[in-house]
Amino acid sequence: MTALLAEHITKSYTSGHVETPVLQGMSIALNERELTLVLGPSGSGKSTLLAILSGLLKPDRGHVAALGEDLWKKSRADLEKFRLEHTGFVFQGFNLFPALTALEQVMLPLAYLGLPRHTVRNMALASLEEVGLASRAHLRPIELSGGEKQRIAIARALAKKPQFLFADEPTSALDSVNGKNVIDALHRVARVYGATVVCVSHDTRLAADADRIVHMADGRILSDVQQISASAPSRSKSAEMP
Amino acid sequence: MVALARKTLIYEWRKFLPAALAVAFSGLLLLMMTALMFGIFSSAGVYVSRSGGDIWAGYPGTQTVELGRPIPRDTEVWLQMDPDVVQVEPFQWLDGDWRGPVERGSVSVFISGIEPAPNGLMFSHVLSAAERAMLSEPGAVIVDGADLSKLGLGIGGTAFLNGHRVRIVAAANGLRTLGGVNIVTSIATARTLVGDPAERDKVAYYVARLAPGANPDAVRGRLTPVASAHRFAVWTHDEFAWNAATYWMFETGAGLGFIFLSFVVFLVGVVITSQTLFAAVASSVREYAMLNALGAGIGTLRRVILEQAFWVGAIGIVFGGLVSLTLALLAHGQDVPIAFNYIAAIACGVLVMTIALISGLLAVGAINHLEPANLLR
Repeated sequence: MTALLAEHITKSYTSGHVETPVLQGMSIALNERELTLVLGPSGSGKSTLLAILSGLLKPDRGHVAALGEDLWKKSRADLEKFRLEHTGFVFQGFNLFPALTALEQVMLPLAYLGLPRHTVRNMALASLEEVGLASRAHLRPIELSGGEKQRIAIARALAKKPQFLFADEPTSALDSVNGKNVIDALHRVARVYGATVVCVSHDTRLAADADRIVHMADGRILSDVQQISASAPSRSKSAEMP
Repeated sequence: MVALARKTLIYEWRKFLPAALAVAFSGLLLLMMTALMFGIFSSAGVYVSRSGGDIWAGYPGTQTVELGRPIPRDTEVWLQMDPDVVQVEPFQWLDGDWRGPVERGSVSVFISGIEPAPNGLMFSHVLSAAERAMLSEPGAVIVDGADLSKLGLGIGGTAFLNGHRVRIVAAANGLRTLGGVNIVTSIATARTLVGDPAERDKVAYYVARLAPGANPDAVRGRLTPVASAHRFAVWTHDEFAWNAATYWMFETGAGLGFIFLSFVVFLVGVVITSQTLFAAVASSVREYAMLNALGAGIGTLRRVILEQAFWVGAIGIVFGGLVSLTLALLAHGQDVPIAFNYIAAIACGVLVMTIALISGLLAVGAINHLEPANLLR
């Protein structure tokens, strides 16, 4: 079932008097329970697409509908609330607060949901358990390896059981074993929680684990392939509209 | 729930130390300036602050002791009629011309004529009963030890004061006033030094002591209508001392200078603190952007920064206070005129916290244009 729909998205960046088009009227429909991998070279517009889909960047033209709501008709505060309630992010940099322990990193965004403290703590612990780091809950980022930090970031993103999880180059700083762990974790989020997971990368090693692979270049979709998988019962429909 | 502001402050204390030091030293400067100000100008109020007595009566509108004018003699009776007043004594204050050794020429002095009785109120914090008793001798005067050199004489030395021969019988510590040498003598001797014979029976002030437990403000309130009907005015001890200090602060322009300098310190404090705090916040901007991406509102993040600014201010106040205290003790040992006043100290604390919070508001600028989309590269 389509959870996130982008239609006729156009985005350009202006530098001085030079306007560089990044996305040129593209459309895509993303399904729940699927890990969609967006592949493409640098400058292909894949990160911009992720930012627009996730409600972080306003497109010049076009609509993004998430859970039936037009994201870019919301105010900044409403958009923040939507992200708080429904979306998780995993970025290339782990962006963990140096002062907080792994458990606190995961608890922090949950705390903003206004849940009781013990609930927040239990959810955070469960999430750390999910990424296999419950035993490292008391450690600060400086005491964790790169792979562990990224898994903490994933635990933080999925602790609130978001409907949407956006990951930007989550494996670029990791070796192949840690990279595989991370992509497995993302995959589980799609399967177990039924989330719509979008992962942007130029790491082709990830392709084997994705339900769907979208190749991008020059702000357009070159190919969109649904991979046969036991957990992906339906095929999605997507179209490129130049 | 997760104390992000405090935990970051503690864990990354090196980042916040410059801001806390900027706050601390702004506070130190403000407090020391204030203490020096009060130290210098409290000497304007020595007549009041070094004396016992709870109520002063003087000429209406008198701002400071040196501006006193003779008041009616029946003032003493009006004061004594109040049920809480247990003791009233006259205090004569007049200008004098001191001629000591020829090579010193003439020195402009202030003459304080006081009641020499052992329970006398004027300068009771400075003069012992024995010293007071010495004043009973006609022509006997006591001066501050630090003023002896100015007068060119030692204890036992004689000079002419307003044309009358006087003798320095003792030197005390704590009689120095602002603007001139304070010559303390008995009220009887002082009367002989008044130029106009018609004014000799009048004094500029009466000082009253109240029964233990009596409320000076209530007595002042009762006496005020009586006073205005009989051409004198009443003040409480504290009120008159404060009037004197503030009068001199503003009369000499030093007060305005002080306010201006405080403003400069405040401004410098804000500029330096906000810059250092800004740098500390900016170094975490990616983490804040992450939180914003995850849905923490910009207002929530601003509160984190303001809370950090508050703690930086609190730490700065404690540190600045401790350093001030140490310096004050050192200064006290060196006879530097400093005086601490808890209201002024609280005012400095409030100013310092304001510096920290304004800096916090300025440091919020580091995340004002937070673009979590920039985290996507």
